[in-house]
Amino acid sequence: MIVVDNVHKRYRTDHGPGPWVLQGVSFTIPAKLKVGLIGANGAGKSTLLRLIGGIDHPNIGRVERHCRVSWPMGFAGGLQGSLSGRHNAKFVCRIHGHERDIAERIAAIEAFAELGEAFDEPVKTYSTGMRSRLQFAMSLAFDFDVYISDEVTAAGDAAFRKKALTAFKELADRSGLIMVSHDEGTLKNFCATGIWIHDGQAVWFDRIDDALKAYRESRIT
Amino acid sequence: MSAPRAPLSITLSVWKALFLREALARLFGHRAAWFWLLLEPAFHVAYLMVIFAIISVRSIGGIDTAVWLMIGLLAFFMFRHTGTQVMNAVSANKALFAYRQVKPVDTVLVRSALEGLVMTWVTMLFLLGAGLYGLEVVPADPLAVIEAFFAMWLMGMGFGLVTSVASELVPELGRVVNLIMMPLYMVSGVIVPLAIVPQPYRDWLLLNPLAHGLEAARLGFAPHYHAVPELSLAYLYACALVTIFLGLALHRRFAIRLSTQ
Repeated sequence: MIVVDNVHKRYRTDHGPGPWVLQGVSFTIPAKLKVGLIGANGAGKSTLLRLIGGIDHPNIGRVERHCRVSWPMGFAGGLQGSLSGRHNAKFVCRIHGHERDIAERIAAIEAFAELGEAFDEPVKTYSTGMRSRLQFAMSLAFDFDVYISDEVTAAGDAAFRKKALTAFKELADRSGLIMVSHDEGTLKNFCATGIWIHDGQAVWFDRIDDALKAYRESRIT
Repeated sequence: MSAPRAPLSITLSVWKALFLREALARLFGHRAAWFWLLLEPAFHVAYLMVIFAIISVRSIGGIDTAVWLMIGLLAFFMFRHTGTQVMNAVSANKALFAYRQVKPVDTVLVRSALEGLVMTWVTMLFLLGAGLYGLEVVPADPLAVIEAFFAMWLMGMGFGLVTSVASELVPELGRVVNLIMMPLYMVSGVIVPLAIVPQPYRDWLLLNPLAHGLEAARLGFAPHYHAVPELSLAYLYACALVTIFLGLALHRRFAIRLSTQ
């Protein structure tokens, strides 16, 4: 279960505090629920994901995680350029407390990412596609109760994307999911419930179709 | 739902992961990165030796010039390497704050430990090399030497803790720190023995806690060394502990600001 209670967030800019991105967002996401975050560009979807993922903190209010939550998948950071893919993967295994079965998890990551010999090359030599394959493979290697994903299914070439989609579907079947996507098909495919973020507020819809409808109508008027 | 891990076990696993990662990057990040660690003090000792040979100074304060220079330099580098490496720990590991388990202060503490270990190895290898060359490098009072080097390490850690936060809040500060490192090398007594500086100027120079650490390390090697009479290792320890405390407090205060943009 994830509790978001009265969360306000604004960013620091070069000239003082910026405008409020989120203003008093509250909701509770039960375990195993699949939620899509919907909203226009800059509405605060990614900000909300970062807050839920615990890598940023609200100015006011609080976020509580009562289960194991993944880091925001599809996130650009989290890889150290000078180290190889293997060492990056080992690092992530270790901080998630998988020291004992590290060999199996590394093998799984290596197999899924399909990087070949590049797995032992420094990450800074990777292309964007290779990076996102590694990141996707890493996030699959752990058993989280809730996965949070920011446009994650858009990784790599067509063949990899198909494989990733299948793997992601399997994963979503056994755990909770909070995702941001601009693709309505993806959202409908994965999510049952929707949260529409608009003017710093979050509106909860029990059905994703209603959330999409509200979002579309706000765009027209 | 699986039970969340205990905070302590998360921190310990983060420290271990960070340590292994930092060690890899530090020793094998560049081509023969470990070699340059050894070369830097060797280079400093070599050119200072040439200068002292030209002005015909064979001994300082009753001990051999080469040994005097070497110990002072190694003690100073213990401080400087720890301080500058730790200062950059937060900015170098920004990418890792994408994992909420990793806190800025973790990267700083782990780097201090790693750099202390690296410099201990460098010091020992260096002394071993000098010993093979025929210099008297076996300390008369090993515990006193360890005490002095440990204090220099603590001071470096405190310095790094404070500057790692400060340089994130005021980015220009990194340049200022690099600027003051060179004069600090001069006034800490690496090149000029402070015992020959007349009063009242010597008291001013001895306000710098590093000078005490250097003299204490030399005295540990040779008890007959004429150290500055005002030598107080307790002063260095006090300064180190105060800066460490201040640095930890700053990290606590600005924890959120450091891990987010």
